Amino acid sequence: MAGNFWQSSHHQQWLLDKQDLIRERQHDLQLLTEEEYQKIFIFFASVIQTLGEQLKLRQQVIATATVYFKRFYAKNSLKCIDPLLLAPTCIFLASKVEEFGVISNSRLITTCQTVIKNKFSYAYSQEFPYRTNHILECEFYLLENLDCCLIVYQPYRPLLQLVQDMGQEDQLLTLAWRIVNDSLRTDVCLLYPPYQIAIGCLQIACVILQKDHKAWFAELNVDIERIQEIARYVINLFELWKTYDEKKEIQGLLNKMPKPKPAPQR
Amino acid sequence: MSNKLTRYEKIEFLGEGQFATVYKARDVETDNIVAVKKIKMGSRQEAQDGINRTALREIKLLQELHHRNVIGLLDVFGHMSNVSLVFDFMDTDLEVIIKDNTIILTTGNIKAYIIQTLQGLDYLHRNWVLHRDLKPNNLLVNSNGVLKIGDFGLAKLYGSPNRINTHQVVTRWYRCPELLFGAKLYSTGVDMWAVGCILAELLLRVPLFPGESDLDQLTKIFAVFGNPTEENWPGLKSLSDYVEFKPFTPIPLKNIFTAAGDDLLDVLEGLLVLNPLKRFECSKCLAMPFFSNKPAPTPGSKLPLPQNIRKTEVERPTLKRKLLDAVEGGSLSKRLFF
Repeated sequence: MAGNFWQSSHHQQWLLDKQDLIRERQHDLQLLTEEEYQKIFIFFASVIQTLGEQLKLRQQVIATATVYFKRFYAKNSLKCIDPLLLAPTCIFLASKVEEFGVISNSRLITTCQTVIKNKFSYAYSQEFPYRTNHILECEFYLLENLDCCLIVYQPYRPLLQLVQDMGQEDQLLTLAWRIVNDSLRTDVCLLYPPYQIAIGCLQIACVILQKDHKAWFAELNVDIERIQEIARYVINLFELWKTYDEKKEIQGLLNKMPKPKPAPQR
Repeated sequence: MSNKLTRYEKIEFLGEGQFATVYKARDVETDNIVAVKKIKMGSRQEAQDGINRTALREIKLLQELHHRNVIGLLDVFGHMSNVSLVFDFMDTDLEVIIKDNTIILTTGNIKAYIIQTLQGLDYLHRNWVLHRDLKPNNLLVNSNGVLKIGDFGLAKLYGSPNRINTHQVVTRWYRCPELLFGAKLYSTGVDMWAVGCILAELLLRVPLFPGESDLDQLTKIFAVFGNPTEENWPGLKSLSDYVEFKPFTPIPLKNIFTAAGDDLLDVLEGLLVLNPLKRFECSKCLAMPFFSNKPAPTPGSKLPLPQNIRKTEVERPTLKRKLLDAVEGGSLSKRLFF
């Protein structure tokens, strides 16, 4: 639906209100602080990113999977479904929706096993516990909780247009693109439309590269306060990263996380 | 979710396709009549792939599309790979209407159906959706004479540059020459050609190009329009499946559609252009004189429908229907011979 974001389900149903988000998370935030909650989501965004790269998926598919993941938990507690199961399920669904080749369920499971063992052993000491059936069962539940809204708009396309309009070189695009990837570790994809996220990330990239584009930004017809809010989310993430050692903390956080009652068999 | 399994009360079996079984059902919550499309489970291997990809395409696109002439997706329910989609209930489709020789299709009737098709398709194309499987069977009609484009199992977003598409789309008789020549980059023209074939079929009451193989399909097309050349279709010969055909002399459309007016022939000629880049778009078609000339398109309530649809209405006439009939003096349209 490259044509009409304004009438899309993304714009009409899935730009959430900050207050609603806080209210929906009430339950989980009784057990976790806001920062701990964010750290868990940073971790699973990395899990999705690593799985996606391992499966050679395009960034568009990885980003869509991450947004599915965040949308699901924007309406549900972490104890509804183990995020370790939901993460690959989001990838499974997103790869079908984006139509960039199918990944077979068995290949997905194998990849989960290797990735968890080789890259995330600092978080999980045991092997990946889920099988095909769990993914299939989870997939429909995910679809329902997304209210069948599957098309997600990403900031990448507007970003390309904006950088082109600036008449800028690759260096700025590369950095801004990476900041957009980073922004998937914050709540901005739930709160702001993708074109605003693109502008926010572009602004940060300009600051980092010390490129003065004030005049260009001044001519944009956007609510600059919203752009500042987005930038603040991303900068807060960078601040958090400065002192946060995921390898040390994540196991404790995962233990503290609210869990589904019956543990998976096998 | 469990209540959804009982929410739709099966009334009758409607049909079976390659991927799904369709039932007429009553929504017990709203008392509306709906169509429930139950996706077939398929083989065990397919079950491993989770939610059927055809069904996912329909869900993802129809969730974003809302137009009077596009089928509405009302609900989705199921469990694991077992998915059912709930749609607006549609009484019949253009294939049934075309094949029903008790129905007379006047120019006004045809105009009404084609306008609705083009308006729905224009909306799809404006939203970057290609239908890729337009045929009379997928143009659904309800008892109010409203036409809706249905079956989005092959539909796809288009417009990404360099994105390779499969050419194995569109039922053969409605498939355009570039697809038959193996084009992998194509656009709205594939749907426009199909509309041209459908318009022709509304006039002839039989398919215009009932090809028996892909090569036979092209032969039948060129037998009418003559062979394409690099001059009228640059790039033609670089299509992957291009082959030379024996030379044909084009036949004027007037000789095939003897009863059609010039304004209608112009529409056909705009839609059935061999070169996809010269084929007319929806908006350009709708602006053609045919659609504003007399006779006016038949209003929906007066469009002729197959007998069995009438009959069920006669058996259980609603109050509204009775009132309408009283005002309009019956819903049978005048018999105008085409």
